[in-house]
Amino acid sequence: MNLNMNSMESLVAQIQGLSGSIADVNQLHSLLKQSEDLFHSELARLAPLLTELDPSIHSLGYLYILEACTSAPISKEQANELVLSVARFINLCAAEQIRLAPDKFISVCKRFKDQVMLLEDPMRGVAPMLTALRKLQLSSEHLTTLHPDFLLLCLLGKCYKTGLSILEDDIFEVDQPRDFFLYCYYGGMICIGQKKFSKALELLHNVVTAPMSILNSIAVEAYKKYILVSLIHLGQFSISFPKYTSSVAQRNLKNFSQPYLDLVNSYGTGKISELETCVLANNEKFEFDKNLGLVKQVVSSMYKRNIQRLTQTYLTLSLQDIANTVQLHSAKEAEMHVLQMIQDGEIYATINQKDGMVRFLEDPEQYKSCEMIERIDSSIQRIMMLSRKLTDMDELLSCDPLYLAKAGRERQRFDFDDFDTVPSKFTI
Amino acid sequence: MASSSSSGLTFKLHPLVIVNISDHYTRIKSQSQPPPTSSAANDAVSSPPPPRVFGCVIGIQRGRTVEIFNSFELLYDVSTHSLDRAFLEKKQELYKKVFPHFYVLGWYSTGSDAQESDMQIHKALMDINESPVYLLLNPSINHAQKDLPVTIYESELHVIDGIPQLIFVRSSYTIETVEAERISVDHVAHLKPSDGGSAATQLAAHLTGIHSAIKMLNSRIRVLHHYLLAVQKGDLPCENSLLRQVSSLLRRLPTIESDKFQDDFLMEYNDTLLIAYLAMFTNCSSTMNELVDKFNTAYDRHSRRGGRAAFI
Repeated sequence: MNLNMNSMESLVAQIQGLSGSIADVNQLHSLLKQSEDLFHSELARLAPLLTELDPSIHSLGYLYILEACTSAPISKEQANELVLSVARFINLCAAEQIRLAPDKFISVCKRFKDQVMLLEDPMRGVAPMLTALRKLQLSSEHLTTLHPDFLLLCLLGKCYKTGLSILEDDIFEVDQPRDFFLYCYYGGMICIGQKKFSKALELLHNVVTAPMSILNSIAVEAYKKYILVSLIHLGQFSISFPKYTSSVAQRNLKNFSQPYLDLVNSYGTGKISELETCVLANNEKFEFDKNLGLVKQVVSSMYKRNIQRLTQTYLTLSLQDIANTVQLHSAKEAEMHVLQMIQDGEIYATINQKDGMVRFLEDPEQYKSCEMIERIDSSIQRIMMLSRKLTDMDELLSCDPLYLAKAGRERQRFDFDDFDTVPSKFTI
Repeated sequence: MASSSSSGLTFKLHPLVIVNISDHYTRIKSQSQPPPTSSAANDAVSSPPPPRVFGCVIGIQRGRTVEIFNSFELLYDVSTHSLDRAFLEKKQELYKKVFPHFYVLGWYSTGSDAQESDMQIHKALMDINESPVYLLLNPSINHAQKDLPVTIYESELHVIDGIPQLIFVRSSYTIETVEAERISVDHVAHLKPSDGGSAATQLAAHLTGIHSAIKMLNSRIRVLHHYLLAVQKGDLPCENSLLRQVSSLLRRLPTIESDKFQDDFLMEYNDTLLIAYLAMFTNCSSTMNELVDKFNTAYDRHSRRGGRAAFI
């Protein structure tokens, strides 16, 4: 016992001593790795040790001790304290030091998230998780395991705007495929909550078409939402998958979403009544998937779609005629719908309230302004960067032995110019 | 030797003649390139004097107008200091069959100035044409010179030191072009030494041309501006006719401050940017397509087997 106590203290002293330069920290890291079991055996005494260390300078040592603390089962009373201390640590720690032990950091944050959810106050965890995420990321294009946890907290705490800020970044590197699936799924849900349907569509599309070797439930749920969002945003849904979808997904996803595909068919007819019967028929299934809210939005988007179709045929139309064509109940309702659509920027029109006429206008954007130039210029820059990245990836993949082996097998046996046999296998 | 002519003849020269002569000269010069000297010590090797080429010019003489349409080459016999007569007559006959109206009007040569020995050749030709012309092309490239390096000489009988002598006198000429010649001259003018076919260099050449034109316009207007400032200050006397010309010129210059110009300019700029964006999109999509194909071949277990590329 005494020995352990002394060794703990000596360890603490070493942590305090060796947290200066990078070489020292590396040495400390290897030392800490060796003394891991020591931590786990001395759980009771760990808490007072934390007070001796400063999280911003001795981040690595603090992290190890904290991780050992959180790995033990925690009672409800301690949970609050733990949440506070972990939040404080996350805010103060030094990013370079914790990047040396990312898995410890991730496990600490995951425990933190569990405690916060246990306390049923997910909003407390949003800000620290965001800081933790930013500190763990190697670059803004890197997806860590903390991303989906953060988005989950945002969803539960209804802080959608904070979640949106993370979703703006383009992702180029992923640690674990499961993180990616969860990230895109939660991200899609947040975007639906904020009514940013195009971004939601993009994220859900990523889940559905991501490479997978076996079907996972995240993709199945995402596919259902994907159908609904596509109906709301685009007014149509194509059943064929793009060619980069994994064959597993192509074959199996449709089997799980039959009621949704029925919805697509009835949407395609353009009649509200058919759509509503379909919704009623599958009501329990939609409710079970918790997609009922989205389904209701699909129904209301049907009206919008029909009104938009009217703009292509008529230049002016009376509100009563609109109500009749779109099968709304009254001209007042039609006026409300049209007004909402004008405000959202979905159509361009003016309503003349005196005689109840609506005049449809053209898109006033003339593409003549300097702001438009800047927008196009920034888009061109983005696509140039993307193009460069794509060419690099293409070259990398061309050198992949797995690809070369398969490609070599498919070539003709004889070369065209000379009659030598073409090597059909690439042995590396 | 080079005073201006008084014969009163007007000369019209077609560009075909100039191109022919320069082509002849370039060919002979490039075929007679001496091998490069290898000795390092002997750096100051003077290049051999450029070879002289000779030939005949033909055309039509109507009244006082002499129009030179075409030319052909002749061999110069150094020993007899005369042109190959038999060949000349044979060529003349052949050309007569195709162009019955063309006559031998004279001869041409290259060099910087007319020489004494040329008079012999000139006299020899006098039996075909009683007053032949001598066309001289100066092949040395002089960037400062603005005119064509072509001079036309006639022969006149002048009394020098009591002896009547034939000397060469310079005549003025104009360039006359047929539509076909104009097109080919334009084409030759725009040829670039390195790959002239590539679109990028053509665009760059076009833009450089516009840039230099605008630069020149800018500098000329600056001169006018300078002049006007001086007149305003009172350094220079005020000339009303000049001022009127300046004001009419200024009215012809486009004004870039109007709204309409901004609109049109921005719209066209946006269009160009959009086209560039579209091009990049297409490029990116094609790379992405290839990437996806490779990925599917490598990693998707159940992708299409076979699909061998067919031999064309």
